[in-house]
Amino acid sequence: MLLANVAEDLFRSVLQGVPPGAVFALIALGFVLTYKTSGVFNLAFGAQAYISAAMYFQAVNEWGWHRVPAVILAVFVLAPAIGLILERFIFRGLRTASSVAKLVVAIGLTVAMPPLFELGPAVMAAAVVVVPLLWFVLERTLFPRVDVAAGTAAGTIRVVNTVLVLVAAAGLVTLVAELEGLGIVLKAIVASVGVVLAISVYRHADLGATTRTVTAIVIGAVLVALLAEAPEFETVAGSTPVGLVPDGAGVFYDPFGVYPWSRDELAQMAVAVLAMVGLAAVFRYSAIGLAMRAVVESPRMTELAGIQADRVSAFAWALSSLFAGLAGVLIAPRFNTLDDVAFFELVVVAIAAAAIGRLTSLPWALAGGIGLGVVISVGNTFLPRWADDISWLEPIADDFGVAVPFLVLFVILVFTPSIRRSTETTDPLSGVDPPPPASAAVTRSHTLTVATRVFAVVFFTVLGWWVFFSADASWLFLVTQAVIMSTIFLSITVITGFAGQISLCQATFAAIGGFTMYQLADRWDVSVLVGALLGGLVAAAVGALLSLPVRRLGGVWLAIATLAFAFFFDAVMVKFTWIGPTSLLQGARVPRPELGPIDFGDDTSFLVLALIVFAITALAVIQLREGTVGRTLRALRGSELAAQSIGINPSRARMIAFAVSAFIAALGGAMLSMQQGNVNYQQNFSPFVGLFWLVLVVTISARTVEGAANAGAAFGLMERVLLRNVLHLSGKWRFIFFGLTSVQFARHPEGLLEFGKRRSITAIDAKLAEWRARRDGTDGADDSEPAPTDHAGAEEAVR
Amino acid sequence: MSLLEASGLTKSFAGIQALSDVTLSVDDGERVGLIGPNGAGKTTFFNCLLGVLRPDQGMVRFDGHDLGGWPVHRRAQAGIGRTFQRIELFADTTVREHLLIAERVRAGNGGFWKDLLGRGRPTAGEIEACDQVLELLDLRARADDPIEALSLGEGRLVEVGRALMTEPTLLLLDEPSSGLDRHETTALADTLRAVQAERGFAILLVEHDVELVASFTERTYVLDFGTLIADGPTDQVMADAAVRSAYLGDLELS
Repeated sequence: MLLANVAEDLFRSVLQGVPPGAVFALIALGFVLTYKTSGVFNLAFGAQAYISAAMYFQAVNEWGWHRVPAVILAVFVLAPAIGLILERFIFRGLRTASSVAKLVVAIGLTVAMPPLFELGPAVMAAAVVVVPLLWFVLERTLFPRVDVAAGTAAGTIRVVNTVLVLVAAAGLVTLVAELEGLGIVLKAIVASVGVVLAISVYRHADLGATTRTVTAIVIGAVLVALLAEAPEFETVAGSTPVGLVPDGAGVFYDPFGVYPWSRDELAQMAVAVLAMVGLAAVFRYSAIGLAMRAVVESPRMTELAGIQADRVSAFAWALSSLFAGLAGVLIAPRFNTLDDVAFFELVVVAIAAAAIGRLTSLPWALAGGIGLGVVISVGNTFLPRWADDISWLEPIADDFGVAVPFLVLFVILVFTPSIRRSTETTDPLSGVDPPPPASAAVTRSHTLTVATRVFAVVFFTVLGWWVFFSADASWLFLVTQAVIMSTIFLSITVITGFAGQISLCQATFAAIGGFTMYQLADRWDVSVLVGALLGGLVAAAVGALLSLPVRRLGGVWLAIATLAFAFFFDAVMVKFTWIGPTSLLQGARVPRPELGPIDFGDDTSFLVLALIVFAITALAVIQLREGTVGRTLRALRGSELAAQSIGINPSRARMIAFAVSAFIAALGGAMLSMQQGNVNYQQNFSPFVGLFWLVLVVTISARTVEGAANAGAAFGLMERVLLRNVLHLSGKWRFIFFGLTSVQFARHPEGLLEFGKRRSITAIDAKLAEWRARRDGTDGADDSEPAPTDHAGAEEAVR
Repeated sequence: MSLLEASGLTKSFAGIQALSDVTLSVDDGERVGLIGPNGAGKTTFFNCLLGVLRPDQGMVRFDGHDLGGWPVHRRAQAGIGRTFQRIELFADTTVREHLLIAERVRAGNGGFWKDLLGRGRPTAGEIEACDQVLELLDLRARADDPIEALSLGEGRLVEVGRALMTEPTLLLLDEPSSGLDRHETTALADTLRAVQAERGFAILLVEHDVELVASFTERTYVLDFGTLIADGPTDQVMADAAVRSAYLGDLELS
């Protein structure tokens, strides 16, 4: 009797698990397809699935479309179009980049794409339709590649290009003057003309530097003006999604008399089966399928055989993106609200499924997806029952099923030697990062260095004066937050900048710091300052422990393993009352610190504390960089084999890097919690937040303390200062801007800041030399210094 | 007892016998060559010695220790230095810094806490030690150059210098002539000979450049299809008929 009950429950939960499993399988298939044909570990599939689901919602609910055209638009037009755009304009150019660089770009896209979509149809239409079209036209006609050494023809082309760009810019300015009556579509076209022009000018036209800069500024201004006015898909994010079929969630069929499948679930299974049959047919019977199989086998050999790997890869991207879109629309009804984070979790589950198939086998990825769906469902059914008897399991019983895929993923990565050994990329010619150029500060001339220092002192004196004596509370809060974030970002400087490892669980380390401090203060009345330090130590221990199982994992796999850890912490660990808050309502409250007679409860004095913590951490990080630890890590980053050959123990060096990085992150996390008076886990430390941190820091510069400081400033202040007050844009642009600019990481791993500084230093030094030569010739010009960038100033202040 | 003794090393990959029962020894201060055509198993042998690969059978003894199960870095600490066929240098680092890190690791006097106390920066003594080796290798003038600015031949010398800083008793050279022309190869051999005369370590040279091996080594082993087919004093081995047919004949064809 009892056994029969258990068997029935088991059968029911299996049936219940198959539909979501089918959707996981769909994404996993797409994931494997892209990975094998282009070597890209596309985390952005989650974002792509979200966009299709949101587009479908927008069309059906807001525009009142019939479901069929809505599906056609969202899944069969938009999804493959996005895939093609990503392949053509981003990943094709990165073919020879290392797989870690590609992963960072994919993470950037994960961050950038959902807000880009939510900004509305104008931006979308421009991105999907108009930009590629104009790009194509311009590429073929107006902007032939200019070969500088081509003689007189180059001169003519240069003149033509200059005139064209100036005319176009003038046209844009005129248009902007009449913006009032302009429709959305026209605005979109104008915007995209701007984009295309800017990029074309940058890439092809051999213009003078001044013309180029002026043009770029004019175009940029026009774009900003347009985008500020563009209507958004305000209703999409956070609304309740609709299914693919009418009454999807309301009508049930119960073939076995055990578990009634809803129409939505039936649709999920049916579509998944159809998609797989279709995929099998493409592989088996079509020419492109054959080519694709060949590319999967060996991309180089396929190219030698005369098949264009580019075309195959484009097709694979379109197809896999179609799968992602399909999965997005299918799975959406399972979520209460449309939310890009939920879709990102979906793709992590799919990666687990793909990992079951060693990331190469399509049938196994399929089986893995369905298997995970079933395991989650069975876990959700039975774990709460077992937990009835085991009291410590109780708080997590309801969430443990959700965490299974992350555990599976982690275990597979750690225990499968073939995954460890598969050298990350499918392209034998790739895998070499360009050697990073010397730090900009080293190449700077003496005059410029002095000028920079003078500027830095003046800049920070004025800034400090303003912050401490005349800024209001909200500004004080933001500045303090920026300083604390800079501290946290130093942890990324250590692990990514020094050790060259992508860790996606820095937010989790920060959370550990915050929670340890909270628990100590809450239970034993430990001072929060002591608690913060102890939190750092706990996180360092966790980081060191984590580094042991993942020590043999290279680049991408390490990143994914840390992501799995972050999600596991998110799904399970936080729920334990010895980690997270006892009651969600009350939250994890923490007081501001006191140190003897000094009370940091006051915002101004707390800012001083934050600055002191940042300064000490920054100093320590610099000491490590210049000392044995930094040199050892640099050697390992350069060549692990060579580092070992001189006696460096890689596991030990990485363990130190992880521990230090975790300590810093936790210290910062504790500071942030003190500032806000609460460990706001969801808002500050969820895994998705950690992704944005990484994107932000590597985009700006992961190699220097100054980079972390600038990233902190961007995180805390950009929205208020630049976006809201100056450009009047939505805060979402923060994600879009840094997400998209992370694309440059593949070519300039040293970051925007270093790259920009190097260029401007070269330019300024050249001008200085020119000016000196002229002065020596004419004699008697006065001795003024050029204004250096404030970035350079920030660095000096930090040192 | 010899410095390095590899006995009965056997290794196969998915049914392909890469090494079968290879036995080789190197004495203190000796120059020994290991030659063989491409695919003979030289690299596999090398990796078994260094702990990159684990042999299916056989053992490696070095300086009286059984190296079975030792990781790569521990073998390096025990005194086995090496260079790489495809040059392996640390990006974003100057020539001297390559040697500095090796010196620091050898001396074992750096670490996390010293760094934090601000005592992790290179000392005058360490810089002096590095510059001595750079002088020896005729690289003194390039000490502060970034590694990206070096030629392949200079890069290989930096690898030698980096290995020397660990004060090896045995230096394994993995095809040092690859990518170099005849002139550069001769220069490299001369430098190596001079350095060895001063420091007195043993050298195991793995090569397919017969001329280099003939002029540089005292004893030579010949590997073909994973099996040793000859060994002995270099001039005798070079005259051996089996060697000529397996290897030199091969060379004439190509």
